[in-house]
Amino acid sequence: MEMKRPGGELASRPLHFIWIADSSGSMGDDGKIQSLNTAIREAIPHMKKVAEDNPNAQVLVRAVKFSNGAQWHISQPTPVADFAWTDLTADGETDMGKALELVTEQLKMPPMSDRALPPVLVLVSDGQPTDDFDGGLKALMEQPWGKKAVRIAISIGQDSDADVLQKFIGNSELKPLAANSPEALVKHIKWASTAVLKSASSPAAGAEVPAGTDTANVPIPTAAPAAGTATQTGTQNTGATRGTPAGSAGDPNDQNTVDDVW
Amino acid sequence: MENSNQTEWRVIGETVPGASHLRAGTPNQDAILQVRESGRSLPIILSVADGHGSPKCFRSNYGSRFAVKKSAQIVGEFLDERRGKFDLAEIENKGKDYLPKEMVKKWRKTVEYHLKNNPFTEDEFKKLEEKSGANARKLIEENPLLAYGTTSLTVAMEEDFVLYLQLGDGDILNVSAAGKVTKPLPEDARLLANETTSMCLKDAEKDFRFFVQKISNEQSPALVLLSTDGYLNSFSDEAGFFQAGTDILNMLAAENGFDAVNENLKAWLEEATQMGSGDDCTVGIIYRPRALRKYERPEKSEVTTTTETPPSPETSQAVAALTDSQTVSPEDMENVTVTITIKKDKSKISMPSSVELAQKDSHTPLENSSENEGTPSA
Repeated sequence: MEMKRPGGELASRPLHFIWIADSSGSMGDDGKIQSLNTAIREAIPHMKKVAEDNPNAQVLVRAVKFSNGAQWHISQPTPVADFAWTDLTADGETDMGKALELVTEQLKMPPMSDRALPPVLVLVSDGQPTDDFDGGLKALMEQPWGKKAVRIAISIGQDSDADVLQKFIGNSELKPLAANSPEALVKHIKWASTAVLKSASSPAAGAEVPAGTDTANVPIPTAAPAAGTATQTGTQNTGATRGTPAGSAGDPNDQNTVDDVW
Repeated sequence: MENSNQTEWRVIGETVPGASHLRAGTPNQDAILQVRESGRSLPIILSVADGHGSPKCFRSNYGSRFAVKKSAQIVGEFLDERRGKFDLAEIENKGKDYLPKEMVKKWRKTVEYHLKNNPFTEDEFKKLEEKSGANARKLIEENPLLAYGTTSLTVAMEEDFVLYLQLGDGDILNVSAAGKVTKPLPEDARLLANETTSMCLKDAEKDFRFFVQKISNEQSPALVLLSTDGYLNSFSDEAGFFQAGTDILNMLAAENGFDAVNENLKAWLEEATQMGSGDDCTVGIIYRPRALRKYERPEKSEVTTTTETPPSPETSQAVAALTDSQTVSPEDMENVTVTITIKKDKSKISMPSSVELAQKDSHTPLENSSENEGTPSA
């Protein structure tokens, strides 16, 4: 005899994907903010496709912007199928620390649940923090989900602070992705929102890991794409080289093939 | 996996491969094992284990099966040595250190023997490096146990007490006759973001949680539920998971409740993993039918304690198959729910019927050495 299933509502595991976007005044130079808006908007259909491939992960997207202070640009965790990008405008300082504090509040439990998949945080910036970045990062890293988050950083142009972005990533083997042109930015944004998202929503991301044997649960694709490359070259877990900085010596995806604009 | 001769306490269990595991072509890494003293309703030992899904734990389907078997065996032996003169304080004092230590020791010995007879293959390393990078191979070479990493949850039900032993994630619930759900073991704050304590980690014996719960007419769980974390993670919140405990209790209390739950559990778990976590899902249930008749719980004197009956020829054969020298091959334990019984004369475990296993799970148990169990999956 068939019976009604016991228990409450079933649900796939939430995967929070958060853009942390620099909207300081300098992002208004040379079309950087427009390029970022375009890049994220173009990435959305790809994110949707990746999310469809794993029905056991519910991808929820939102965005923080920082300039003078920080605000939720898109505050509601939005199912990727319903996600639409609202253009950022550039103005003010680079209060990156405040952005991390905002994210920290949302990674506490509650509102996060312990059944979530490790969240993905993508920090995009073209400059130096003008506030207490270290304080913001410390607060983030004090939260279990902050520490467990997959943290990706994209630097735009020559003036961004690589050391700061490296601290945010927290793993010396994963470098910030340098975007010195609109094309490179599009590629990096696409990589973060597809290849990284795919790994973060994969069975391996949801798989149990013996404590202390890994610094993160999520296998991150080995190489970030640069202009002219559309696919990844494989995967490599945290602890190995990940996200080779485009433009570095020996990088097959050497970004120097693209003219630097920024 | 229920022993139909026993009516005082009944056991139901099932394990299903995760929906995402099926998509990825990975096996069910959970295991479940029931151990029951032949001819008696109690004691019952029920053990589940969740082999880690990390690519580094590529033999965790073996690890989990070793865990349920060793845990059931060790707890069974520990209690048998004290049968007839149970001293709860002594069991608590001795058990909290002895059982985890012995569990880790025996599990590791089994894994090491398996590894000795089935060394890691280049194919396994190649797949590992593809998924997790070259450093992962180094990690495995430094700690081969990692490949077999698993949790372990065990409940032993005696007439006067319940013993709980858990390492790693997963859940053990008590459901009272009134439907109230509680957790007998404390939470472990370290279990977050898919990280878990594990049999494969150094000092694993220190990470066990242990509790001996005295049973009395005033306080006794009507139902104990064990599950791997794939089940909890399939519900939108913990309340929904707790509700499953209460709902199952109510279903079991209805007419033909046992048959209904037993027949439907697999489908429920399949629905849970498809709509929920995507992870392997395993649930084991021990319950006392009389306790479900609202507050008509039996007096202790009414507890059925039949005398031991000699094992059937099939059982005798299976006894031999599951002593320390011989056991079921994990290779043939894929998705298997196994029922075995503890012999009255302590320490040896037996399987009631190999035919029954084969029929229920479409697997044929083999009689390989426990330290030469199966071959690594290609």
